Amino acid sequence: MNASSGFNARPPRPAWGIRPPPNKDLSLAQPIRTMPPPMRVVIPVDQCLGLAAAPLVTVGQSVAVSQPIAAAGSTSGTAGPCVHASISGIVTGLERRPVAGRDTTDRLCVLVDGDGRDETLAADDNPVEPLPVSPDDICAQIAAAGIVGLGGALFSTAAKLGSGRPIDTLIINGAECEPYITCDEILMRTRAMHVLRGVRIMQHALGATQTVIAVESNMPEARAAIFDAIEAAGHDDMHVCVVTAKYPAGGERQLTELIMGREVPEYGLPADIGIVCHNVGTAAAVADLFDRGRPLISRIVTVTGHGVADPGNFEVRIGTPIRDLLAFAGRHDEPAGRIIMGGPMMGWALPGDSLPVTKATNCLIVMQPGDIVPDAPEMPCIRCGECVIACPARLLPQELLIAARRHDMDGLQALGIDACIECGCCDYVCPSQIRLTDRLIAAKAAHAQHVAGLRHAMQAQQRSDARTARLAAQRHAEAADLDRQLDNTDDADAIDAIMARVRDKETHATESKDEQVDD
Amino acid sequence: MSDTDSFAQILRRGLWHENPGLVQLLGLCPLLAVSNTLVNGLGLGLATILVICATNVLVSACRRWLHDDFRLPVFVLIIATFVTSVELLCRAFWFDLHLALGIFLPLIVTNCVILGRAEAFASRQRVSAALADGLAHGLGFAAVLIALGGLRELVGQGSLLAGAELLFGPVGRGWSLELVPQSGGLLLAALPPGAFIGLAVLIAARNALTRRRANAGRVTAAAADS
Amino acid sequence: MPLTTGSAPFWRTPDTVPVIMRHVLYALVPAIIASVWFFGIGIVYNLIVAVVTALVTEAIALRLRGRPAGPGLADYSAIVTAVLLAMCLPPLTAWWVTATGACFAVAVAKHLYGGLGFNLFNPAMAGYVAVLVSFPDALSGWPAPNIGDLDAPIPGSGATLWFTLTGQLPGDLSLDAITRATPLDTVKTELGMMRTMDEIGTNPLFGDFGGRGWEWIANFVALGGGWLLIRRIIRWQTPVAMLVTLAGMAAVGYLFDPARLPGPGFHLFSSGTMLCAFFIATDPVTGAATNRGKLIVGAAIGALTYVIRTWGSYADGIAFAVLLVNMAVPLIDRYTRPRVYGRPPRSQQ
Repeated sequence: MNASSGFNARPPRPAWGIRPPPNKDLSLAQPIRTMPPPMRVVIPVDQCLGLAAAPLVTVGQSVAVSQPIAAAGSTSGTAGPCVHASISGIVTGLERRPVAGRDTTDRLCVLVDGDGRDETLAADDNPVEPLPVSPDDICAQIAAAGIVGLGGALFSTAAKLGSGRPIDTLIINGAECEPYITCDEILMRTRAMHVLRGVRIMQHALGATQTVIAVESNMPEARAAIFDAIEAAGHDDMHVCVVTAKYPAGGERQLTELIMGREVPEYGLPADIGIVCHNVGTAAAVADLFDRGRPLISRIVTVTGHGVADPGNFEVRIGTPIRDLLAFAGRHDEPAGRIIMGGPMMGWALPGDSLPVTKATNCLIVMQPGDIVPDAPEMPCIRCGECVIACPARLLPQELLIAARRHDMDGLQALGIDACIECGCCDYVCPSQIRLTDRLIAAKAAHAQHVAGLRHAMQAQQRSDARTARLAAQRHAEAADLDRQLDNTDDADAIDAIMARVRDKETHATESKDEQVDD
Repeated sequence: MSDTDSFAQILRRGLWHENPGLVQLLGLCPLLAVSNTLVNGLGLGLATILVICATNVLVSACRRWLHDDFRLPVFVLIIATFVTSVELLCRAFWFDLHLALGIFLPLIVTNCVILGRAEAFASRQRVSAALADGLAHGLGFAAVLIALGGLRELVGQGSLLAGAELLFGPVGRGWSLELVPQSGGLLLAALPPGAFIGLAVLIAARNALTRRRANAGRVTAAAADS
Repeated sequence: MPLTTGSAPFWRTPDTVPVIMRHVLYALVPAIIASVWFFGIGIVYNLIVAVVTALVTEAIALRLRGRPAGPGLADYSAIVTAVLLAMCLPPLTAWWVTATGACFAVAVAKHLYGGLGFNLFNPAMAGYVAVLVSFPDALSGWPAPNIGDLDAPIPGSGATLWFTLTGQLPGDLSLDAITRATPLDTVKTELGMMRTMDEIGTNPLFGDFGGRGWEWIANFVALGGGWLLIRRIIRWQTPVAMLVTLAGMAAVGYLFDPARLPGPGFHLFSSGTMLCAFFIATDPVTGAATNRGKLIVGAAIGALTYVIRTWGSYADGIAFAVLLVNMAVPLIDRYTRPRVYGRPPRSQQ
């Protein structure tokens, strides 16, 4: 290991976190299977965090696979990630359709009816040659290919790679800590070399001196596959790091702390301490782009739970209706009790199965009615402190809850509400079954609103202060002017005239000020 | 607080709305320390009534000549005079009770209820009103003392009016009631923590009663509205 | 059929409050059996009286507070309070003494402060102290342990029941003949009579470490506590800190003056030290929430227990130590707040 690299070859075992049953074997029995392109896709236009996108196609237009159909607004000159057609066919609609999220709402989607030919644009499906050398070119191509963080955050990969900050370490996050989800693990097991090619390009774009690939202690096959691939490729600046299999060890901030021994500042990003963290799936998407010329039109989705006959990992086109995917995975006939997109700790329960697979869909858990544990009634907090021990951000959830109930914004701030990563650990361990996550998320939003209000008031105050100062300076200058004039005048009449003028002006100024106040 | 306050209003205020023991929480030291039996409470209560009435009357009578700058020392002087008189009377006629009340009899001087009434009421009002106010607050304070004393004696010793002869002479010997014969009682109530718990229970009971009355009033008003 | 929605997390720990409380009760079973073996059936009667009183009081209190009684009774917290209280009382205790303690514990120490989760003081210990200061005589005599070579007989179940109901022993049995002072009381009294520890230790009441019988009950309490630790119902910080502090102070004292200060073994295995360490100091509601806080709370209880036992006027200081530390818990929690992730250390803020 490189001595100057400064990462923990053996990360400490965290005191925080929880160990829910992993249930990963369910979907690891089979290799990745590719689902054939569906007959119809529903592709949300907005698929990048914080960047609104506009559609590029009109109803009736025919599109080919990989053809851009929406482009996100640009930040700092570089274009935001595009969204591409994932099947070839005809655009049949631009409609608002429900898209999964914390609050599943209707969003603008492009509806494409497939023609079954799966035709691609002529220029595509070839390796990008020559490989771009300049980081800016790499970022531009990644943005154009619509690559975003596939761990579920959907943050623009290009923006993260091209932040312009000095970065020394690239962390590739393969610590898939949520129960059930195996899409990253299977990728590392079966396509390690492919992942490494993506990692190589990302490291180059960042100018990072080392890359650390993090896996969890309960995925030895993935670790071995990545390790062998690194050996085979001879990358001596890439390292594999095994973190304890504990939820949420794979959280970006938690992983940074475990691997680097450094904390991301409360209101900062990993880039502030010279670190960038990317998901394994994102690295594979980058490799897809440069090796095969394919933009992000599909992703690997874990379909699991007792509600499907044949759980596993599937390579699925973006926009595929979840119903089609579940049918492909052998969904049981009886009605599903609950479908969760994401993991059981941070995922979203879907209101229906007609929603599309998006770039954020890493996992679908189909639970049968019998698997659902109904919410027990909340009991009073018994102050046991289990949530304090479990919290990976070292918060005091029980005190945050009290502050939230009191609407005590200063208390929430002091207790560090903004450091909450909404992982659900406090909720999981709470013996009183208090829905802490919901409450803390709501408190966080209320606090953010409060802070925005404060900032607004402060800016108004600053403007007002600046104006007062400006006026005072002006008056001061005028008075100095007057003094000079008086000094230069001997004539008493002239002085009287000037004084009268000044009095006049002052009265006038007072009046106009009064008017202003009245206004 | 105006001159037009009727006697009944003054009395109601002292006994209930501004009760020194339960609402203003004044004079807590003698209240907690001497309320271990009903008779002790009654004795201190009577002494306090006497002192507060006499003080109020005298302060009210002299209010014209009391300058703001020296009124407090004069109040204290007046109170001390009456307390000393009461203590000497007590020593002369109820010596056993005097022993039982101990230091708390002379310490009536520092009972802020008395100074408070002199300052807040007697120094601004007619003599008759001041007397009524003294009587009301004295009775209010004594009532709490008696209630707390009775409660603690009942729970702590299982008796009531034990030692009545201290106050009423040999006649009182027959008055004491052994409600729970030959039990040790819950000693906790007779000990200092019992005083705090007992007072808290009384305050809570008063608050509950007030709230229920207010709610009832609101319900009646609402019914009248609709 | 519509899908079930809801919000994350969709999983929760199976260790809910009632489950935790039930485990605490299971963990006490070996100690109760040991107590019956050494001191007779009395503790069972105490348990029944305490549990019934606590449940009735809980139901009445919940009703008065306008809360549904069902969930309140089903969380087992009142039963745990009652059982812990009953285990602190002598096996020969009149029912009204036990009932007073249980009623005080639930009504005053728990519900007057706002019910489960809001009580500042450990209800079992508050109830015990209320009984201790109210009926000092009733709590001083324990039956002599059933070891075989002690002359005093253990009263039978009928005689014990009679005592529980009436406060008197039937027939020719006299209380003085069958009860002995507790080992801690004995040490305190005899030290007051200027005896040395060596002389006191020859009293047949004393075994290897603490009192005979007592030390075995302590072992079974510790066994139950160990199981709770393994089940992660309780955390190790409080019990370990308490036992280490108490043993450490006792060891220093013993080295300093072995004739007048009992050693660590005696302190650990006498009276309710183990019960306190594993079952009372670990009460979540009245203990510290943070790990560092738990250490401080445990150490403070251990230190105060030693101080009160050695220099106080009561023979055993555990209940008082617990209540005193309970008062300091909010402060301890405040000063042991962990540093929020990503924030600079307090010294740099």
